[in-house]
Amino acid sequence: MSLLAARTGDTAGETSPAALIRHTLIQTQRLLLRWARNPITLFETLLIPCLLLIMLDIVVGGQIERFTGEDALYGSVPMVALVGALSGAVAGGVLLGRERDAGLLARFWVLPVHRASGLASRILAEGCRILLGTIAVLIVGFLLGFRFHQGPLAALAFFFVPVIFGLAFATIVTAVAVYTAKASLVEGITILTSLMMFFSTGFVPLVAFPTWIQPVVRNQPMSVAVDAMRGLADQGPIARPLTMTLLWSAGAVLLFAIPAAIGFRRASRR
Amino acid sequence: MTATTWHTHTPATPDTVQQWWVLTMRLIVPSVKTGEVLASVLAPAAFTASFYIPLKTVMMFSGNGFSSYAQYMMPLVILQAAAFTAISAAFRSATDSVAGLNRRFGAMPLRPLVPVAARMSANLFRLLISLAAAIAAGYVIGFRFRLDAVHTLGFLVFSVLIGLALTLGADVIGTLSKSPEATSQALVLPPLIFGMLSTGLAPASQFPEWIQWFVRNQPVSQFAIGLRALAGDTAGNAGTVSWSLMGPSLLWLAAIVAICTPVAIRLSSRRA
Repeated sequence: MSLLAARTGDTAGETSPAALIRHTLIQTQRLLLRWARNPITLFETLLIPCLLLIMLDIVVGGQIERFTGEDALYGSVPMVALVGALSGAVAGGVLLGRERDAGLLARFWVLPVHRASGLASRILAEGCRILLGTIAVLIVGFLLGFRFHQGPLAALAFFFVPVIFGLAFATIVTAVAVYTAKASLVEGITILTSLMMFFSTGFVPLVAFPTWIQPVVRNQPMSVAVDAMRGLADQGPIARPLTMTLLWSAGAVLLFAIPAAIGFRRASRR
Repeated sequence: MTATTWHTHTPATPDTVQQWWVLTMRLIVPSVKTGEVLASVLAPAAFTASFYIPLKTVMMFSGNGFSSYAQYMMPLVILQAAAFTAISAAFRSATDSVAGLNRRFGAMPLRPLVPVAARMSANLFRLLISLAAAIAAGYVIGFRFRLDAVHTLGFLVFSVLIGLALTLGADVIGTLSKSPEATSQALVLPPLIFGMLSTGLAPASQFPEWIQWFVRNQPVSQFAIGLRALAGDTAGNAGTVSWSLMGPSLLWLAAIVAICTPVAIRLSSRRA
């Protein structure tokens, strides 16, 4: 009896804003649990970035310090946090493709679930995941000698750069993943992100690159995000790189949000 | 008429060579048709650009005894190209294993080693493409073979042998695994760790002291030292080819083959 009452209450507000919040939270919890219970994705998004940071510090850290006289960690910690955010987005894209193929999205569509909660919960889960990944990388960075020198407010802003950057990238991955579930496309994105990593100011300082490629390296999305985070943690300009990061992210969202939303809707009604 | 033939007691006589050819083509033709084989060309080019362009200045400003960074880091590109081929080899053998194809081959009149031989020859095909692309990319950035034809041939043969040993190992791992995606993801890490923590990008003296013994003696460093000696260098610090220089890497190769071959034979002659 009470069950029936609860259900009718629920269906009545299926499209209400309250339902949106409730359903989004439930679905976010579902996605995060799924992530936490899959050892491979957990390993990929939390452990690999930390290992990568240690490796970079050992292999190129010393050389860069001798080359520029500055601690290389202030470039590599932001870069690795961003790489972690990107690889998490790719893992999320693969999961989305699997759920579409398994018919799970179509199943949610016929249940009394708020229409927007599917996409909203993925954004929220992605944000939580990136935040956790950034914290993991920062713990390792802290052990290696990374410190915040610009006060608590800048440190707080530091965390938001990978979240914004990662969410914008997740929009692109979602737009690609809902249309094609092909593994090779995900592989292509992985190659693109590793190229972005190698040709960024976080990998080696800008002056170490040949002059002809410096304009590309300086302005590509990952470099500007690294520079913004470097400014927020250590020293250097903040305004220009932060504006550029926001512009790149806004551009990605503007271009890909509508295809992603349409694709998600279509994938759900399959 | 057919019924009579059917009931004879002569067992099916498999034509081993033809079976091997058909199964090899099964793996090669689709990858050429879909353009997947392009990855074997693009990956070495991407490795070369990603290591050479950012690291050249940082790694060479204090010098490492070589005439150019291209000459120094080229062996690592060869090894990364081989590792890339090995990962896709593991993906393929895992796909066959999970899809039940190996089980099906076991129930067919097929000589036991034919499937693994076919997979290995398809791997060799990809390996040759990817090594050729790596050497071409090396030539673009300034790598040259500085010694005579015998040494150059030795370089080529040695790289193919390393690649074959790695793909054989990957084939075994893939056959034993339960998930193609998980396997290829798990196999991304070892080349990354061994590649970066080797003398492939920087001499051992540039590493922190506590890790130098590992950097110096692990297989990737030994392979890189061997390949560098076979390519030679105008600055004269590449080392000369001798048993003491090539010994460790040949022993590593022999060890990989000695461990993987019996397992590969056992796996492919298993009839379930």
